[in-house]
Amino acid sequence: MSAHTTTTADVHGHVDTDHIHGHDHHHEPTWMETYIFSTDHKTIAKQFLITGMFWGIVGGLLSVLFRLQLGWPNDTFPFLETFLGKWAEGGKISNEFYLAMVTMHGTILVFFVLTGGLSGTFANLLIPYQIGARDMASGFINMLSYWFFFAASIVLFTSFFVQTGPASGGWTAYPPLNGMRDIAINKGSGLGFDLWALAMTFFIISSLLGGLNYVATILNLRTKGMGMMKLPLTIWAFMFTAILGILSFPALLAGVALLEFDRLLGTSFYLNMIVVNGHLLDYRGGSPILFQHLFWFLGHPEVYIIILPAMGIVSEVLSVHSRKPIFGYRAMVVSIMAIVVISFLVWAHHMFVTGLNPNLAAVFVLFTLLIAVPSAIKVFNWIGTIWKGSIRLTVPMLFAIGFVSMFISGGLTGLMLGNSPIDIQLHDTYFVVAHFHIVMGVAAFFGMFAGVYHWFPRFYGRFMNDTLGYIHFYVTLIGGYAIFFPMHFMTGLPRRYYTFANFETFNNFNFLTQFISVAAIVVFLAQLIFVVNFFYSIFKGRKVDVERTEGEHTYGNPWEGTTLEWTAPIERIHGNWAGEIPSVYRWPYDYSVNDKPYISQNTPLAPGEVEHT
Amino acid sequence: MLAFVTFALIVLFFTVLVLIGKTNELSEDIAGKGMNYDAKSKWNGYMLLGFVIAFFISIVYQVKLLAPIMIPKSASYHGEKTDNLFYVTLFFMTIVFILTQFALFYFAYRYNQSKNKKAYFYSHNNKLEVIWTVIPAIVLAVLVVMGMRVWFQIFDVESRDKNALVVEVTAKQFQWMARYPGADGKFGHRILDTAHITPTNELGIDWTDPNSHDDFWSDKLVFIKGKPVLVKLGALDVIHSFYLPHFRVKMDCVPGIPTQFYFTPKYTTEEMRDYLKTLPWWNTINPETGEPRWKTFKYELACTEICGRSHYGMQKEVVVVKDQAEYDEWMKKQSPIYVAPKAEGTATDSTAAPATAATDSTSKETAKTGKPVAELVKK
Repeated sequence: MSAHTTTTADVHGHVDTDHIHGHDHHHEPTWMETYIFSTDHKTIAKQFLITGMFWGIVGGLLSVLFRLQLGWPNDTFPFLETFLGKWAEGGKISNEFYLAMVTMHGTILVFFVLTGGLSGTFANLLIPYQIGARDMASGFINMLSYWFFFAASIVLFTSFFVQTGPASGGWTAYPPLNGMRDIAINKGSGLGFDLWALAMTFFIISSLLGGLNYVATILNLRTKGMGMMKLPLTIWAFMFTAILGILSFPALLAGVALLEFDRLLGTSFYLNMIVVNGHLLDYRGGSPILFQHLFWFLGHPEVYIIILPAMGIVSEVLSVHSRKPIFGYRAMVVSIMAIVVISFLVWAHHMFVTGLNPNLAAVFVLFTLLIAVPSAIKVFNWIGTIWKGSIRLTVPMLFAIGFVSMFISGGLTGLMLGNSPIDIQLHDTYFVVAHFHIVMGVAAFFGMFAGVYHWFPRFYGRFMNDTLGYIHFYVTLIGGYAIFFPMHFMTGLPRRYYTFANFETFNNFNFLTQFISVAAIVVFLAQLIFVVNFFYSIFKGRKVDVERTEGEHTYGNPWEGTTLEWTAPIERIHGNWAGEIPSVYRWPYDYSVNDKPYISQNTPLAPGEVEHT
Repeated sequence: MLAFVTFALIVLFFTVLVLIGKTNELSEDIAGKGMNYDAKSKWNGYMLLGFVIAFFISIVYQVKLLAPIMIPKSASYHGEKTDNLFYVTLFFMTIVFILTQFALFYFAYRYNQSKNKKAYFYSHNNKLEVIWTVIPAIVLAVLVVMGMRVWFQIFDVESRDKNALVVEVTAKQFQWMARYPGADGKFGHRILDTAHITPTNELGIDWTDPNSHDDFWSDKLVFIKGKPVLVKLGALDVIHSFYLPHFRVKMDCVPGIPTQFYFTPKYTTEEMRDYLKTLPWWNTINPETGEPRWKTFKYELACTEICGRSHYGMQKEVVVVKDQAEYDEWMKKQSPIYVAPKAEGTATDSTAAPATAATDSTSKETAKTGKPVAELVKK
């Protein structure tokens, strides 16, 4: 390998190859430095993944609990009182805690699982590995990024235990419901919301630190020969995700800061002429709609922050396991860019019925439907990728196929919601719930699972168990559709309702809400299979086959992939490569070409071979 | 004890699963098929093909089972247009959905490793990619144009009927306050200041304005068939959303910012019942009332913006009467708000309804102490 490597792009002075082998003039990393306050991107990736899994279980459990209420609104569940105490007196979840659970479910899954857990894990693991770098541009900032995420997690988790409960005004945190520190208006608007805001602040800091690092690393630390158009699509996706986050998260930070000013300092950024119990409060001149603009200026790019990494992972997984190059690499890159640009111009489609100027709405309809074009290109290209492949239906491949299926199903309904006249009826109903859960909830999870099953050997040198993986996949695929597909027929039923019993119009779906609740519980249990499989396989999973041994390191390529992460030793050493960093000579999708099953990116072009462009 | 048994059972369940998984893995290893995905690709190919077929069948079944119980046809004119747009979009969506889902799962089946040993190196096709960029773009452009035509019809302020029935609906936790202008068709002014807004006069109605004297609260929203309605919306405490599912009407009620929605009801409540009587599901017995469902059908108003613990309880009945005469008759039975203030304990509330009818001049004087809503919120 060293024959065609001429430079090393060392990240830190102390991470050159000599010191990895423990020569004496630097101290060996202590246990603390290796496992807790680590600056190694692989460890940080694991930290994000495991924290994300913790939050995934918490967020999923919350949904199971509120599905109990929705499915059986007239029944009591005494065990709930055992666990939740005053929030479920007599075994019935209180309407206040119901809203708190809905709120926290949204916050946790959108931010802590599908942003922190997904981007944090795979951007950290794959960026240095796939671009051929020893680590992130700044290992220290990377470590800070995780620990701010950890701090955010602690604060958010603490909010479950305060007397007035966690935030309960919706994950969108609209004022005035969340804008006044008055627990008579909303219990969750007390200390719970302040903790929510603090947690979000830490989270945004974490996201910005991480994002800046990702972009800096991708732009500056690519190995020799790794031109931008030789980057795997995962890296393109992570880079644009990071750019999106860097540009949009500050808007939310500002929005939340002003919200806290209103709450704590008595300002009126979002409040005007509020009347509570017949008393006109002193707030003058603010606008609750301003917050919605700030929120959705992040909030909409946020859904792409969630889905782009999943798209990148899926592009890679589909290609590797189809043994075929990704179809239309350039179109895929351009469509990611297009999605990023347009995603900044669609936010007000969440606000068509707020009294927004109808002319303004027209602009947002145009861009919202326009963003479907690059999304459609990606779908067609994925299908083109598997066409005439020699598809290995491995667990990650199944999840990648499941992702595309979910993305189609959920994406198409976006065409209705994005068209403002149709949205009048659909806004804030179960149709929206079905839409976004399929397109950015289940789909993003499928992308994440595809990634975990695919790169588990990179993380731990072992495979996850196949049988459990297949069970996990089919239950989640069928169950995911069983939960969310029928919800489309609940068009017009308002979301965030504790029960529909007060309305003749909405009260016809009891058998369906029960069916959905049962499906949700089954799917939740299936995720536990994944968790069990994950931890079991860390210790007992089948080991990656060793193809060759060099010195004290072994090498193997479990999926026969072309990208650089598989050229590093199975052992996962600090600095990633034992010798010099490999150089890159070709694009990342040379599968089934020149009569070879695959050609790694670090293989020089054969005499007479034309470089793929 | 029960909890312990449950917990033990769950642990046992996962242990068994893990053991099955491990056993399979070991038996593969013994057979030397560790990295050989031929057999797995084969059965998973059939599974995926089976899935997509079952998926399509289940969708047909869902439509059959659930479509009849969905919220019925639009009861307003503009709603028919938005529904139509929904179905046009659905038409295009269905085509794309069937083609792409089927292709995805069929290819996964057809080209799995057990059926296709050699992948075809095919990296791009510019012509094809242009085609599948341009066609969606055209379809989407058509949808945008159609959508915007309907959108601007709904919000076309200029073509609105000046004689529309105006109803003022103010939302607060957790109820709807519906104010009708009474026989004169004019609302009394509201003055938004601490002197006028009191627990008994939350809207700050200026009782010195004679127009306020026949304004009345209504426990239901009453509209007239074929007569345009302008609903003027507001909220006192937090954001609520005014939602009439049958009329395809939704607009947020925002504290401090007035909003409105203009629409025309097409069917009276009775006509809608007569229509539903012709549908099989609506003839089934509702176990709660013991009567056929169409009989108890009613239009309803709901809140669709999370507004606090009793968000789900903000219900109000909506009635569409057949003509002006029926409306007038109903209006006669309503009692004005103005007589109510006697119960207010008006000692500290100088602006609450005076016993004598206020003249225009006093009305103007009092008005100086505060500004009408419109002025306050315009800045």
